[in-house]
Amino acid sequence: MKILLVEDDRRASEYLAKGLRELGHVVEQAFDGETGLAVAGSGTYDVLVLDRMLPKLDGLEIVRQLRAGGSTAPILILSALDEVDERVQGLRAGGDDYLAKPYHLEELAARLDALSRRHSEAGPAGKLRLLDLELDARTRKVTRAGRKIDLTTREFQLLEFLMRHTGQVVTRTMILEGVWDYHFDPKTNVIDVHISRLRQAIDKGFEPQLLHTVRGAGYTLTEDP
Amino acid sequence: MALVSFARSSIARVAVLHGLVLAASMVAVLGGVYLGTSRIIANEGDQLLTLEVQSLAEDFREKDLDAFVTEVVDRAEDPWVRGGVYELRGPTGDFLAGNVVVLPELAAGRDGWAEFDVAVTRGDANASRRIRGRITALRGGFQLLVGHDVQDRHTFREVMLRSLAWAVLVTLLFGALGGLWLGRRISRTAQAITASAGRIAEGNLGERLPVSGSGDEIDALVTRFNDLLGRVESLTTTMRAVLDSTAHDLRGHLNRIRGAAQDARNGAASPEQVRAGDAVLTEIDRLSGTLQGLLRIALAESGTAPLESVDLSAVTADLAEFYQPVAEPDQLHAQITAGLMVRGHRQLLAQALSNLLDNALKYGNGSPVNLTLAAVDGRARLCVSDGGPGIAPEYRELATVRFRRLPGSSGLPGSGLGLSLVAAVARLHHARLELGDGDPGLRVTLEIPLDAAPAAT
Repeated sequence: MKILLVEDDRRASEYLAKGLRELGHVVEQAFDGETGLAVAGSGTYDVLVLDRMLPKLDGLEIVRQLRAGGSTAPILILSALDEVDERVQGLRAGGDDYLAKPYHLEELAARLDALSRRHSEAGPAGKLRLLDLELDARTRKVTRAGRKIDLTTREFQLLEFLMRHTGQVVTRTMILEGVWDYHFDPKTNVIDVHISRLRQAIDKGFEPQLLHTVRGAGYTLTEDP
Repeated sequence: MALVSFARSSIARVAVLHGLVLAASMVAVLGGVYLGTSRIIANEGDQLLTLEVQSLAEDFREKDLDAFVTEVVDRAEDPWVRGGVYELRGPTGDFLAGNVVVLPELAAGRDGWAEFDVAVTRGDANASRRIRGRITALRGGFQLLVGHDVQDRHTFREVMLRSLAWAVLVTLLFGALGGLWLGRRISRTAQAITASAGRIAEGNLGERLPVSGSGDEIDALVTRFNDLLGRVESLTTTMRAVLDSTAHDLRGHLNRIRGAAQDARNGAASPEQVRAGDAVLTEIDRLSGTLQGLLRIALAESGTAPLESVDLSAVTADLAEFYQPVAEPDQLHAQITAGLMVRGHRQLLAQALSNLLDNALKYGNGSPVNLTLAAVDGRARLCVSDGGPGIAPEYRELATVRFRRLPGSSGLPGSGLGLSLVAAVARLHHARLELGDGDPGLRVTLEIPLDAAPAAT
């Protein structure tokens, strides 16, 4: 995937670019806001990573100008500012996701992956499908190999979130944000317990296993791990 | 109730005081005038009478008794034309001459002065006239009363006294009304100031107290207070800016360090290097966690976090449901009243509640954890209790101090920031936080004022 990284902290930018390249991405870098806006306008990128505070042109301002110019490229805003309220501003300005520094490379990579790919949308019948696992968003029914699976409302939402990101890695914070809409830091492994309950429901007694743990990153729902 | 609170209000005190002061000054002025005039009039009358008594006494010495009696009879002839009353009695008390009969019963005061009423018939009308007279003892045991009609003087005094009473009454009334008006003015100003101060206390530091523009003492006070607020606001803004830039700086540094550590770990050549790299990354993450905790506390304490209408019931239900799977079966019991709205910060409230549930499940040693939310006296009472060892009363206050971990908790994971954040979030929401006895265990109660004006849906 082709990524434009606009970050004025050169060393942070280098580490990030190197890490993303090692994961197989093509990364171009800009080190101030004006250059970043110009480069973003001239090239085609799968996803843009913008620092919130940039010299010459603020990160949020770049987002606004790009959106005003009709750009629909997915944008992730990186910020060293307090994440609780800044996040809202970033998304309101037209950003698609927001990540506070210091971040984990795996977290950022997972979010970029989620942003760059079109989410699996429910088909015309409102159905999401992975092999023999089927979720009907309208009737709120889940079946595996034709057998009905009973889920709580939240388990259903969790599964729906995972199925929309089929084949992608989702991190614990992505799950907390996407399914619960909270940004707090659960000190215990609560998300893991929710996942293992869901795994019990959809994988136990079936082959192949679909819900996998990705070490050091999060989880993925896929037929071929 | 309303009357009691009125009586306690400063308006009532000002009104009554104002009325009393006005009335007292009215009494002083009118009383002075009354005393002055009545003394002048009385003196004048008494001097005339004294002169007459002296001339009669002289006549008594120079004339023989018959001539003197004739003179008294003459003078007494038409008392209501000349306004004089006379009575002469002999040494044995026998009536010799005069136009009144009062002497035997009359009790005279100092120097023989006395006042008494005499009934007179003028035409068909009966009237009572007030007489002021002087009884003089003449040589040989004779007694002479000479008196003047002082009815007019008497009437004047009565009218004067009545006017005085009315004047005082009216001033009292007007004084009270004036005081009421004055008090209302002061009270309105005070109410406006109270309302503003309330909004300022809620964190709206940009607000200023209203200045009436009259330049009076209250204006001077308010202006001074506004200057003070300006300083508080600029200090708070500066502090927030310092906080933000420090946070920005630290996060930037941590980010670079993490990048470098990750890079080194990814390029590690040996398993030892991988382990060392992982250890460094873990430490960096722990440090980031602590920094984030501190920053959230600072955000809550700065009072600048934006508040909105939040469905506390929904947040509580979410958190209960979120933590349910980590609890043992039948360990976490939630009892939540639906639809309780508060003015708050959804994310910070969720973080605080998450810390409380996390603590209860961690320190409760598997005992039942109760989570309740109910409306009590205009407040949402959120209560989390466990059946663990609890916190001894002497440590409860310490428990909310940053980085302070309590005795016996050293073996358990924790940053020492959990309850500090809860306390900071409580302050941000003007909430009461109480760490109490769950009997056994710890019972944490958070009482947040309900949102008076829920957002229109």
